[in-house]
Amino acid sequence: MNHATMSPVDAAVSGTSGPPGEQDTRDAEQQAAVSVMPAGSTGARLLRFAMANIARRPERFLLSVAGIALAMMAVIVVRTISVGFASSGSASLATVLDGAPLWVVPADGVHYDPSVAMLVADGSPPALQVPAGWHAHRIVNGIWASPGGKLALFGVVGAADGRAVLGSAAARALGTSAGRTITIGGHVLTVSISGTGKVVSVPGAVATSVVGTHGWWTVTPSSADRGRNDLGSLLAAASGLPWTPDPAQHPAAAGRGLIYDTTGTSNGLTFTQRFSALFSGQVTSSALGLVSTVGLVLGFVIAVSSFLASVQERRREFGIMSSIGLADEVLYFFLVESAIVFLAAYLAGALAAGVAVALVVPGLATLGGWLQAAGMVAAYLPAMAIIGALVPVHRLLQQRPVSLLTGSS
Amino acid sequence: MIAAGLSYGMLSTRRRARELILPIITTATGAFLLVQVLSLAGSVRRQAASLGNGTEIYRAIVLISVVVLLVGVVEVAVCTTRTVTQRTREIGVLGATGVRRAPVVAALLVEPLVAALVGALVGSAVAVAGGFVLSATGVSSTSPDVAGTVVGVALAVGVSVVASLLTSAMPTWRAASRPPIRSLSSGG
Repeated sequence: MNHATMSPVDAAVSGTSGPPGEQDTRDAEQQAAVSVMPAGSTGARLLRFAMANIARRPERFLLSVAGIALAMMAVIVVRTISVGFASSGSASLATVLDGAPLWVVPADGVHYDPSVAMLVADGSPPALQVPAGWHAHRIVNGIWASPGGKLALFGVVGAADGRAVLGSAAARALGTSAGRTITIGGHVLTVSISGTGKVVSVPGAVATSVVGTHGWWTVTPSSADRGRNDLGSLLAAASGLPWTPDPAQHPAAAGRGLIYDTTGTSNGLTFTQRFSALFSGQVTSSALGLVSTVGLVLGFVIAVSSFLASVQERRREFGIMSSIGLADEVLYFFLVESAIVFLAAYLAGALAAGVAVALVVPGLATLGGWLQAAGMVAAYLPAMAIIGALVPVHRLLQQRPVSLLTGSS
Repeated sequence: MIAAGLSYGMLSTRRRARELILPIITTATGAFLLVQVLSLAGSVRRQAASLGNGTEIYRAIVLISVVVLLVGVVEVAVCTTRTVTQRTREIGVLGATGVRRAPVVAALLVEPLVAALVGALVGSAVAVAGGFVLSATGVSSTSPDVAGTVVGVALAVGVSVVASLLTSAMPTWRAASRPPIRSLSSGG
């Protein structure tokens, strides 16, 4: 509000500003009136003041930027990896559900197999009764040790005979292409390609002959019931199985199975989002996450210690400032300096992280993942920059101007 | 002359030991993590494998530990910039009495060298001791991997010493290159 009322005055002031020589003394006077200055020019002056201080000790600036940038890089690399896991988690879930809103898993549960990047059933699905008009698809599922390596095999019971639908990665592994034939478990099947994964979809009987009866159900409601938000409880009532909207819940080992209702949202997150969060959580809570968090703390220590060093060296300067009545304003000087340090470190760290991920873990590097990770770390920046500035200011404000001016160092 | 510089540096390092506590702690933290990751390579590898892409993830863990160690070592160099500023006048006196640049730089580099070395060794010692305590009390199922531990300690010491000398070289060189009259007349 102050700014708005000041702006005409400011225009008058800048209109009457004298020759360049007078500008310096004017700057010093106006510096004292920081709190009543319009935002634009004050910001520019603060920035110039901060840049001057940085130029005075360029090594320290470079070192603290390098330290924090390394720490940010570590965190962004870990986040990029975890985003990569989250997306492979949601991709595998999308393949499993194939548009169905309900997923019935065996009591032994399912697990994610990283070698085929797909969910694999650990037991046979329970017997299932569905409400009238609903469709239940019994899916046989397991790992097929194919000639081209491990592949995830899906068998849709009741699907048309004689066809195999391969993900492009599976087709590459088997060295085949659309229109040719492959032999699985003694059955000759015509290949068609769909999707990208290490996935092979075949008729149920073929799959059963290769991987056994392990699998699950996917359930689609009747067109009358589509769009209802209590699909899980409807199916639970018809089948006698427990249901949950929570992907973190595992089926009870002593029970018959569990229904996952994937239609609802909880805290604004869809089932798929919460499911992939389980994957990224595995990364951030692993050794990777712990090590990178410690790195971030160390980077923050470096920032604070270099600010404290500059407080120590500029005692006299701050003594003069506080003796002419500048006290809280000192905070702004440090805020701007700290913002510059953290911003520079963030940019350098994000770029370095992109390069590091592409070189070290190319299998998990995606541009989207890197951007998402960089965005997540950007959220910490303001807090780090503000706390980094508050510590030295707190140290300064504890001392009387006289002791700052007469201090030995 | 260099030897004289080094022993002078040793004396001033002992005098200023308290200044070195923070850089030693940060370096030790980085070294601790690196040695811990390498000495528990077995279980870390297993954890990485359970996430898939085991080799890649393990490589990423080791690299990130090295990066965190570097972050710790940067604090050593920040401390050196502080030292150089506080001792501007002393450096001026040395220059004015005819001491050449190389011994002065050598004297100033003793401090970061000692800080990095002590930090790396303390961190490694804590990590090794911690590993043995964990396996002795049965908290960790795998016993520490001796070869991994040796590699970890060597890597921690090597990386922190080299990195601290490289990062401290620029500020000390600049300080020792200033004309003595400017160092003597500066406010600090």
